Amino acid sequence: MPHALGFSSRREFLHVGSLTGLGLSLGGLFRLQAARADLKSFDHFVGTAKSVIHIWLPGGWAQQETFDPKPLVPVEYRGDLSAIDTKLTGVQFSEKLVKTAQVADKITVVRSMTHGEAAHERGTHNMFTGYRPSPALTFPSFGSVVAHELGPRANLPPYVCVPTLPAPDAGAGYLGSAFGPFVLGSDPADGGFTVRDLALPGGVDAERFAKRQQLREAVGRHFQRLEDAGAVAAMDAFYERAYALVSSAEARAAFDIKAEPDAIKDEYGRNQAGQRMLLARRLVEAGVRFVTLSYGGWDMHGKIRDGITNTLPPFDQAFAALITDLDRRGLLDSTLVMASSEFGRTPRINADAGRDHWPKVFSVVLAGGGIKRGQVYGASDTIAAEPADSPLSVADLATTVYHCLGIVADKELMAPGNRPVEIVDDGTVRKDLLA
Amino acid sequence: MSRTARTILQAVAVGWLTLAAASDAADLVNIEVYPPQVRLDSARDRQRLIVQGRAADGRTFDVTATAEVAASDATFAAIDRDGARVVLRPLADGDATLRVAVAGHVRELPLRVVSASSDPPLSFRLDVMPVFARAGCNMGSCHGAARGKDGFRLSLFGFDPSGDHHRITRELPGRRIDLAHPEESLLLLKATGGVPHTGGKRFAADDDLADRLVRWIAAGAADDPGPDPAVSVPQLVGLDLYPPSALIEGEAATQQVVAVARFSDGTDRDVTDLAWYGTNNDRSAKVSPAGTVTSGVRGEAFLMARYDTITVGVPMVVIPKDLAFQFPTEHDLPGATEGARTIDSLVNAKLASLRIAPSPVCDDEAFLRRVTLDLVGLLPTPDERARFLADSAPDKRRRAIDELMARKEFVELWVMRWAEILQIRSQGNDVSPKAALLYHQWLDRRIAANEPIDRMVRDLLTATGGTFDNPPTNYFQLERNTLKIAENVAQAFLGMRIQCAQCHNHPFDRWTMDDYYGFAAFFAQIGRKKGADPREQIVFDSGGGEMQHPVKGKPAVPKFLGGETPKVANRDRREALAAWITSADNPFFAKHVANIAWTHFFGRGIVHEPDDARISNPPVNGPLLEELGRRFATSGWDFRGLVRDIVTSRTYQRSFATNDTNRLDETNFSHAAIRRQRAEVLLDTLAQVTDTKNKFPGLPLGARAVQMADGRTTNYFLTTFGRATREDVCSCAVRMDPSLSQALHLLNGDVANERIRQGGLVGRRLAEGRTPGAIIDELFLRCNGRMPTERERIETLLTVLDSTDRKQALEDVFWALLNSPEFIFNH
Repeated sequence: MPHALGFSSRREFLHVGSLTGLGLSLGGLFRLQAARADLKSFDHFVGTAKSVIHIWLPGGWAQQETFDPKPLVPVEYRGDLSAIDTKLTGVQFSEKLVKTAQVADKITVVRSMTHGEAAHERGTHNMFTGYRPSPALTFPSFGSVVAHELGPRANLPPYVCVPTLPAPDAGAGYLGSAFGPFVLGSDPADGGFTVRDLALPGGVDAERFAKRQQLREAVGRHFQRLEDAGAVAAMDAFYERAYALVSSAEARAAFDIKAEPDAIKDEYGRNQAGQRMLLARRLVEAGVRFVTLSYGGWDMHGKIRDGITNTLPPFDQAFAALITDLDRRGLLDSTLVMASSEFGRTPRINADAGRDHWPKVFSVVLAGGGIKRGQVYGASDTIAAEPADSPLSVADLATTVYHCLGIVADKELMAPGNRPVEIVDDGTVRKDLLA
Repeated sequence: MSRTARTILQAVAVGWLTLAAASDAADLVNIEVYPPQVRLDSARDRQRLIVQGRAADGRTFDVTATAEVAASDATFAAIDRDGARVVLRPLADGDATLRVAVAGHVRELPLRVVSASSDPPLSFRLDVMPVFARAGCNMGSCHGAARGKDGFRLSLFGFDPSGDHHRITRELPGRRIDLAHPEESLLLLKATGGVPHTGGKRFAADDDLADRLVRWIAAGAADDPGPDPAVSVPQLVGLDLYPPSALIEGEAATQQVVAVARFSDGTDRDVTDLAWYGTNNDRSAKVSPAGTVTSGVRGEAFLMARYDTITVGVPMVVIPKDLAFQFPTEHDLPGATEGARTIDSLVNAKLASLRIAPSPVCDDEAFLRRVTLDLVGLLPTPDERARFLADSAPDKRRRAIDELMARKEFVELWVMRWAEILQIRSQGNDVSPKAALLYHQWLDRRIAANEPIDRMVRDLLTATGGTFDNPPTNYFQLERNTLKIAENVAQAFLGMRIQCAQCHNHPFDRWTMDDYYGFAAFFAQIGRKKGADPREQIVFDSGGGEMQHPVKGKPAVPKFLGGETPKVANRDRREALAAWITSADNPFFAKHVANIAWTHFFGRGIVHEPDDARISNPPVNGPLLEELGRRFATSGWDFRGLVRDIVTSRTYQRSFATNDTNRLDETNFSHAAIRRQRAEVLLDTLAQVTDTKNKFPGLPLGARAVQMADGRTTNYFLTTFGRATREDVCSCAVRMDPSLSQALHLLNGDVANERIRQGGLVGRRLAEGRTPGAIIDELFLRCNGRMPTERERIETLLTVLDSTDRKQALEDVFWALLNSPEFIFNH
């Protein structure tokens, strides 16, 4: 067969790849998934959510000191923070959620989240993947599944972590690093915030970069004509994505938090919570499908009052600003916001004035992207020890989030060893969460 | 070696093999009858026969329908025929000979009938449990799920028959079975669609499966008798799947299979109608629930049958009809070892059966770049290349290989690979950086001395003492969980992932929970205590402690995987295990290590992934793997000899350019694979070509990434390009897949830009008065191991000459080369 054909077929491959957003066929990488016609498969449908902002609160935030205060029980259960009224009649939040209380009519507070993993790593795995940890398989995170299923958009990576990978469980698992998050590696709250390798290096302007691209074409052609390997095509595909990202002023601008007006920066709060959420909004606005950001350390085994007093108010301000800002821009109905943690904390204050790990019941906050506005879903019992109403499992939460994105969670993906694995095992869409 | 392989091999050995069109019975050179003997041992027993014919070129045909079958004495068994279905049915006790003939070819096989008049009661384990597996009731997505389905749970693939019996008969008394009206039992009505069932109708009410359930319930729905029913019934010891292979020509041809289960009491059963069948390539070979294989498009398929806890498989190949094919004539490569020639003939035999012509041997430039990267993790320098090209001796490739293997970088590369397998890294208080370093030095000494691999592994697995004094003890410090140690050992040294069997019998492999906990029991008595130095730990044989079997609720007896139960009283259990693993007779170890070496040089294992050997993931070339393992074990575990056999072979030295027959082949080594350089090697070669030095924590300036002792040490480049952290034993922990971050880092990051600047190569050359053309030539030689083509030279040179800043333009050429697949990949 003439060499020219090998050449053109690969070009054609890349061309087709860029037309389909490169989500479909990156050579051998994807052949694994494509090869199995007998997998349980479903077409995507048009979901209510176009993107997701996942706010991760590592350590396990206390339901009692945040969204599920228990003002009527004795102080050793209640803690010594009080509760305040919110926009929703009869619903109270912690006194440190002053601003969020004012957007309670735009969000859904789940007070009946429940699972059985009381260790950080295991609980974290649950909340990032929708699966219990398995000794045999590393599951992909929500973001990686979204990257795999929906692919990139607007020259931007489909899945971004702000500022770092919050946990190994937020990675691509068995799907492979091609579907892993693009990790900023730098905190938007820092004055000198830049995203690694995004900007052209010093001394290289757009003109020189274009020349470099031409040279790369010139020195790559000979080899390209000889080989037709999937691995090379897959790498080239990522080069194309990188070129697109580097060359697109709009795409790069998404990461440029400096472009935000001071008033907006102040509204979110000039701190980690504020600036990370603000950057997340910029990213989804520009086309990123899934942003995971982490904030704070919530593992408050001692002096929980102090911990909450320090950590919660910046969250409160930023979260309320995010919801308000998204709504103002008409983005809230297409952006699903989820604030979650690996578990909650024990009903009773311990000897160190803190609370310990408690996965039996805790709170998760959802908003936008097809989630009902202004409701409390489920309930914990009197002392926040067990779900009292509508317990929400990890699998059901995951299935519902995927549903909002138009992904059928019953679909099977191919794990190593030709092992078909459902995106979520045995989850149901909780219709009551939806608008 | 199979008969097919040998036939084809002989044809290959004489230099050519032409396959002309031919396909009817007239082509047959022999026939085989399966199973090779028939034994019927109750009134219910039946045995199906198949007849397979074979042509001289290896093609096979199911000729059962045209076979004449007769017994030397017709009084003992009836031969029931229904087209291609030939079934033997007992009549009276006695022995006879069956004679099978097709177009003049004859086979005879023994027939024995015993207990022809006895009809024993149905056994729950032997007759009823297979129904749930066959009908799919106990699959993971149905009642085999951990919590069952719709309120009814069966153990996954039947790993817990006692529990299943309890759940069927006693969990909800009166609901699932009806002893008075067996046909009205819910168990049956659900399965036959008599009442609504989420899983739908699984079989018809008049099916044999239904009949089994009815008869068992009518007889009282009892479990098997005895104090422990699990041992009172004959144990399944083997499953035979026939024919052992098939080479089918054309689409829509069929081949029936026969599955025979063997039991511990010497009896067997035809389970052709009870086994579950699957194939790993539907497009080439589809299989029906009755075990009829139908050929599809050209390709290879592995046909599997599962019965009870055993899964077995046979390879099948489909080739186009009337294919004209000629295997290329090839001469022995100068310098090829005897082992290398064996590799070539076994690889070629497989290729010939697939009608694939391999690519020719690559040219000298390509060879030198490939072999230098693979053996020492560096690129050939322009001087090395010039010397090699100038050498006209026919065995120069062999000498280059020997020189490369004598370099210290060869040792370092394999120390890195083994350090991944042994997971060498520091870890909190369990393994201090000093301990990790000592562990690495221990490994380095062994590999440098080419110590036999069996001894190294034995010393590791039986290590006792302080983690400083006897560094391999760190293996048991890096992982302290007994079950995880067992899993790691199985994966690292036997190439098998047994994790699934922790919770259920492995559905696509032979490992049961008994195997799993029996294997883990070897590590149940490892003791640990603090050493005198607070950073040191001491590992010892505590002589006590057991591994509890979670289903049986009693201690598991130490048992080799698929092997015997050794005496372990009064000795370190690990010694018994290590002796078994590293024995030349061990069915897994030698092949696994050989496959690790193979994978390094081909980017793909004979079993792929190399640590995922299982029934449902068979070697792509079984005879090749057998032979590599056999040679390795009998060579005194000479790892370097194994490497030399591989790299002096023609198979390793083939070009990556493909022809019409091997373009789509990615598994049978018919052409060189294009493989990305692994993270450490890529960083080292970047440093090499740019004349820059690496700096890593704990290592001197200029050290190579390959030399890093501690898996925990890394940098952004290495992590981004997939360096293994060594926290996970899996070979997949070394990531080779691309990502956006990698591309951005090479495009914009400091790795290419900064190094080109720091190394100052272009500036130096300009100062030396070299012309831009000469500098471009050197950049190509450094990065790609070849001169630029005319077109490349002209295009790049024009760009340089057009530029106001020639140094910058030349550095941009350098940058472009570093960002090109030709540099980033080994090919």
